Amino acid sequence: MEAEVIKAELVLPTHMTFKRIQIYEKYPKGQSKVRWKQLKQILQAENYQNYPPDEPNYVNIESPPSMHPCKRICDITGFEAPYHDPRTNLRYANADVFKLVRSLPNEYVQRYLALRKAAVVLR
Amino acid sequence: MPFISKIQRQSDYNRFPSSTPIVIDNGASYFRIGWAGENEPRVVFRNIVQRPRHKSTGETVTIVGDQDTALLKYFDCTRSGPRSAFDSNVVFQFEIMEYVLDFAFDRLGTNGSRIDHPILITECVCNPVQSRSKMAELLFETYGVPSIAFGVDAAFSYMYNQQHGICEKDGLAICPGFTTTHVIPFVDGEPVYKGCCRTNIGGYHVTDNLKQLLSLKYPYHMARFTWEKVEDLKMEHCYIASDYALEARLFQKGGKEAEDKTRCWQLPWVPPPTEEPPSEEEMARKAAIRERQGQRLREMAEAKRSSRINELENQLHGLEFLLHQLGQVKEEEIPSFLSDTGYVSKQEIESTLTKVSQSLRKAKGEPKAEQVENEEKADSSTSEKYPLINVPDNMLTPEQLKEKKRQVFLKTTTEGRQRAKQKRFEEELEREKKNQQDEERRLENPELYLEQMRTKYKELYEKVEQRKRLKTNGGHTNGNSLSGGVGRGERLNAAQRERMRLLTTAAFDRGKGEDTFGAKDEDWQLYKLMSKDNDNDDDGADEDEAELARVCSRLQEIDPTFVPKPESTSLQPTNAEAPSFCPLTKEDYQIVLGVERFRCPEILFHPNLVGIDQAGLDEMTGVSIRRLPSKDEGLEDRLTSSIFMTGGCSLFPGINERLEAGIRMLRPCGAPIKVVRALDPVLDAWRGASIYAANLQFPQQTFTRADYYDKGEDWLRRYQLRYTL
Repeated sequence: MEAEVIKAELVLPTHMTFKRIQIYEKYPKGQSKVRWKQLKQILQAENYQNYPPDEPNYVNIESPPSMHPCKRICDITGFEAPYHDPRTNLRYANADVFKLVRSLPNEYVQRYLALRKAAVVLR
Repeated sequence: MPFISKIQRQSDYNRFPSSTPIVIDNGASYFRIGWAGENEPRVVFRNIVQRPRHKSTGETVTIVGDQDTALLKYFDCTRSGPRSAFDSNVVFQFEIMEYVLDFAFDRLGTNGSRIDHPILITECVCNPVQSRSKMAELLFETYGVPSIAFGVDAAFSYMYNQQHGICEKDGLAICPGFTTTHVIPFVDGEPVYKGCCRTNIGGYHVTDNLKQLLSLKYPYHMARFTWEKVEDLKMEHCYIASDYALEARLFQKGGKEAEDKTRCWQLPWVPPPTEEPPSEEEMARKAAIRERQGQRLREMAEAKRSSRINELENQLHGLEFLLHQLGQVKEEEIPSFLSDTGYVSKQEIESTLTKVSQSLRKAKGEPKAEQVENEEKADSSTSEKYPLINVPDNMLTPEQLKEKKRQVFLKTTTEGRQRAKQKRFEEELEREKKNQQDEERRLENPELYLEQMRTKYKELYEKVEQRKRLKTNGGHTNGNSLSGGVGRGERLNAAQRERMRLLTTAAFDRGKGEDTFGAKDEDWQLYKLMSKDNDNDDDGADEDEAELARVCSRLQEIDPTFVPKPESTSLQPTNAEAPSFCPLTKEDYQIVLGVERFRCPEILFHPNLVGIDQAGLDEMTGVSIRRLPSKDEGLEDRLTSSIFMTGGCSLFPGINERLEAGIRMLRPCGAPIKVVRALDPVLDAWRGASIYAANLQFPQQTFTRADYYDKGEDWLRRYQLRYTL
């Protein structure tokens, strides 16, 4: 370890005096790759349907879809976009932007669409 | 950076008695820890962990929080990105949580064998019981904490500000956080979770959106847009427009006001050193060097040529001597003599002699007129070489028949070659004649001739371009054509349509009986048809292209003003490629933030802009009020007259006015609406928690290890803190 790294105490020491079980005992290296449950799995395991529905829980309090009409703004410039390109599925504001839209390579088109979560995901 | 991490190790751990609680604000963006009763948290850092490999020793180490990038160069950070224990405001990765807590307690100055203080830790609203229990287990088992209390950070912040008179006892707390935004109604100082509302949009999404937009707009500088830098930009420059459409129109018009609102970030840029034109001496020196090199090459070529000539002459002499000797030797001894020299017959020697003399002549550079004579001589010799051809079959032995067949074959091949040569010669003559005619025409009437050539060139060029465009646009539908109308390039041309039709009819099984494709031989002709379509196109294209090339070169010769049109590439250069063709200017290194300044925070109010189909901030208040279970009169009015904003994202300028305008749309006319912001949206949660923990009645709200194990998970699920003590 370089001197300045030690001086700055950048690295977390592996043994802490105030802990009853050290981390290397709990997670031995290289063996048990603990798979942590993602949020979706945690929520599924919660079984909220067994409890009365008006009790607030993590899933209950989520907001409903928006009632306001969807605001359509141009994907590239951010102005208001009344037009929509059927080939690339992008929204654009005027003819100059349209020229730009049509000249974009496919990679950029997909990235602009991914901003809106409208990209085609092949998985 | 506006948010500074404090990670200095504290030294006064032992000053605090065992009853003083430790207060932790475990947020998705920052982790704050300190002692109860104080005004500021002692240790603040970003809630991320990196596990890079040390470059020289190769061991994997853990680094918590944002660290000095200068020191990070000793570590290989490519495989390990920063990892967070959170998945959208819920803690799920407790290994990382443990690293973070280790670091935090260490920097707080902990010594001793266990953490001997009660802990108040924040969590999200309606935290799933699994996450809660795992956190409790971690603290009890690994750290030996005596008692724990869980609380909601927004509630602590509300309580703190209520005590300071910012908001009333009844009110709405709006908390746009890092990954989520909550709206919680408070009645009598207690949060009513039934009326709570959560949208999964937060500062993280705003920063991410800004980062993507900038990367797409300036792909050349993509490496500059790190997460930390973009967050800085967001905190410094982003604001919320009071009316998005109006602002957008302002920028679209591009007047002076838009100019004022545009911010420009100049990246460091060094102009390249201008090259002076080489001076006279330089050029003279270079010319001399080139001259010398040319001279050397010429000498070498000369030497090689003369050595080859010598070699050939020697060979010639040897062969002549051999012939001479052969003439002198007697008849019987010819075969043995020949076997010594290595040649089979006299004719072979003669033929090698002629060949050598030919190459010698070529090397010396004499005209090839003599070659024709040699060919004629060769011709005459061939008729001698095929003696058996003219002899009828029945007079020959089987071996001789074989010999005859071989000779016939040889003769036909040589004759074929000669015929081909003749044809080529004739074609040459033809072309010469045509060129002559062309020249004459040109000399007569240069203007007209030029015109004709030009029009021919244009026509051919158009045809070739069109065919190329059809080919590429038929292939992929994401058309990249610049010119060309909507109709021409897009429709599949007739051949491709035919192919598609064939494929579909052949593949489509109508369901009646079995698939009998391939039983008959004619079926396979289908494939020939399908591939032939392609070939036809190509042949025609090649001819045209060859003609085009010829015309182009002709025009270049005779017309000084002709410039061949560059072939338009099928891929237009993107913004990234354009700068490499012309010298980079200062402007290319400027990042302009215009519309992005208010476009990115707009997603807080319209999550639809990033594809998240949930209500925005203003709508959420309406939903929250609707969800409240029991409403006495005036409660709604009381709620809206004390709307309290806290959380990191509430620092955007202009958010108060916008929210007020939005809520006014939802409420009946004349309802009182007052939007206030917390004293310090970032730290107020911790401060509220600190004051709460310092209260004498705090220990009643905690639960101990024994409680946790006795009462079980169900009790833990229903455990809620009472905020009014």
